[in-house]
Amino acid sequence: MFDIILRNLTQRKIRTGLTISGIGLGIFAVIVMGGMSENFNQTFEKSFSLTAEKIRVFSSVGVFGGGVTNSKVAEVRKVPGVEDAYGMLMAPLEEGGGMSFGGNQVTGIRPEKSQVALTPIKVKDGRFLMRGDRYVTVIGSSIATQYNIGVGDKLEIEDKNFTVVGVLEYTGSFFDANAAIPLDIAQDIYDMGDTVSLIFALPQEGVDGELLAKRIKLSVDGVDTLSPGELKKEAEQNLRIFSVITVSAAVLAALIGGLSVMNTMLMSVMERTKEFGILKALGAQQRDILLMTVGEASIMGLIGGLLGLASGWAVIYGMNLWLADQGIVLFLITPRLVAVAMLFAILLGTASGIYPAIRATRMSPMEALRYE
Amino acid sequence: MNDMRNNNDVGDISDIDDMSGDIILKTRDLKKTFMQGKIPVHALRGVDIDIKRSELVSIVGPSGSGKSTMLSIIGMLEKPTQGKVFIDNIEVTKAKNKDIPKLRREKIGFVFQHFNLLSVLSALGNVEIAMRFARVPKKKRMTRAKEVLTEMGLGDRLKHKPSELSGGEQQRVSIARALANRPAIILADEPTGEVDTKTRELIINILRRLSDHGQTVIIVTHDPWVAERTDRTIKLVDGKIEDLLK
Repeated sequence: MFDIILRNLTQRKIRTGLTISGIGLGIFAVIVMGGMSENFNQTFEKSFSLTAEKIRVFSSVGVFGGGVTNSKVAEVRKVPGVEDAYGMLMAPLEEGGGMSFGGNQVTGIRPEKSQVALTPIKVKDGRFLMRGDRYVTVIGSSIATQYNIGVGDKLEIEDKNFTVVGVLEYTGSFFDANAAIPLDIAQDIYDMGDTVSLIFALPQEGVDGELLAKRIKLSVDGVDTLSPGELKKEAEQNLRIFSVITVSAAVLAALIGGLSVMNTMLMSVMERTKEFGILKALGAQQRDILLMTVGEASIMGLIGGLLGLASGWAVIYGMNLWLADQGIVLFLITPRLVAVAMLFAILLGTASGIYPAIRATRMSPMEALRYE
Repeated sequence: MNDMRNNNDVGDISDIDDMSGDIILKTRDLKKTFMQGKIPVHALRGVDIDIKRSELVSIVGPSGSGKSTMLSIIGMLEKPTQGKVFIDNIEVTKAKNKDIPKLRREKIGFVFQHFNLLSVLSALGNVEIAMRFARVPKKKRMTRAKEVLTEMGLGDRLKHKPSELSGGEQQRVSIARALANRPAIILADEPTGEVDTKTRELIINILRRLSDHGQTVIIVTHDPWVAERTDRTIKLVDGKIEDLLK
């Protein structure tokens, strides 16, 4: 049966080609949009896992509401159950870069806390910040790639030259795009006085992070907290919305491809009405006709899926290569994405072929034979 | 041919008490009414025929006399409004819908006026496909298809597509396809309608030869020349047998 299916498909080359291209475009969209979504998901997951146990303490008017004074760090540290606390000042590295996803950022941190703040990330080259450090920085792997710098080189931040003393290992998280500098220097160059963007609090061993977050909020005036659980919930919700938006757009494109398969198959079934009549006269059963018609649609779905996967992969590879110069990774193809896209392509092709196939099987052989 | 024929165990076997072993096709009180809008059109008005094994029979009659309807009902492409059809001792009009393709495959071989070959397949492919639906293994299918095509004098045209064959050659492929599953009856609907007089003679000679070798052949035709060359002619007028001419 497979040879007949292939022969039918190759008999109408242009139409088959156009239909396969339709599916291919849809799956291309699924791969590219899904690849972006997968990358965001993984980055968020990794970033979260690296700071999972820490409680975020920020100004009660919000993270971007002007920050909290560094004096609050001591108050937070005094709350029972807090093992340690440190403030961080965050600012964009490039002028006008903002704090959006994909942009590099500068983190001001007290040098003696830099190892605690960055753990479990390891230093690939050099060292962490140390007490007494001034105009030095520990950079993430993306910044090192983007600026092509390493230990001993200079990085310009706000017109000041900082010597790179350490390069972190690649983590696939926000830390890759981060340059850590001493907090007092950061407050000085950004003219932030005694302010930090947020405070991280580490719970003592055995202390429940959720309860401790509430305790900090009640104990320290003018602050709000985000417990690890709340952060995860919030991040997951945002990711879900992002995934739904990106994947919906891609699925819509693929569904349009599916409709083109259905249209092609309906036309093909109509054109081959007489052929189905002949096959029935020769003793073909309904399942033979069904298999033949659905088989054609499924194969178009499969080839379209492979085409979309290959072209999506090529574009993503090219884009990632191009963006790598800027230290940005925007797309990620995962086995899960490939499996879902291929399954979707085949199911789409098959589903689109079912209605035309049912029409073909229901034809009266006599009427089909009379069809001109 | 008879020794190669399949014995069928599909369908309901009944009412065979008066069926002679020599009778391969029997119809009783066969009626078919079509509705044209709200107006009933009686295509067949109670047809009784008996056809013996290895007979070459022609069905003639003016347009609209019910010849083709008769052929479709015998070929199980349509169901009668009333009446019974027995093929090879099986009442096929009682058969369940799911059993009809198998019965059709094993009992009937069709030869059409317009050949009705599949354009994407070669002569060999067109003959071989008829056996696929009977789930015959590939090697056996190919051997049998080559055998019947060679019998039809097309041994050197196996790989040719229908568009590369003459009308006569196409009709011979069509006959080979009808023979592939070794059916009880070959139903030929105007088999010489699309060919020249020389090819017409060739086709009739082939059908005659098949009959002489034990194959039952029923031909629907408008052509008196063809009818004259059959063992018996059944004339249908207004859905009824008017005359048995021979």
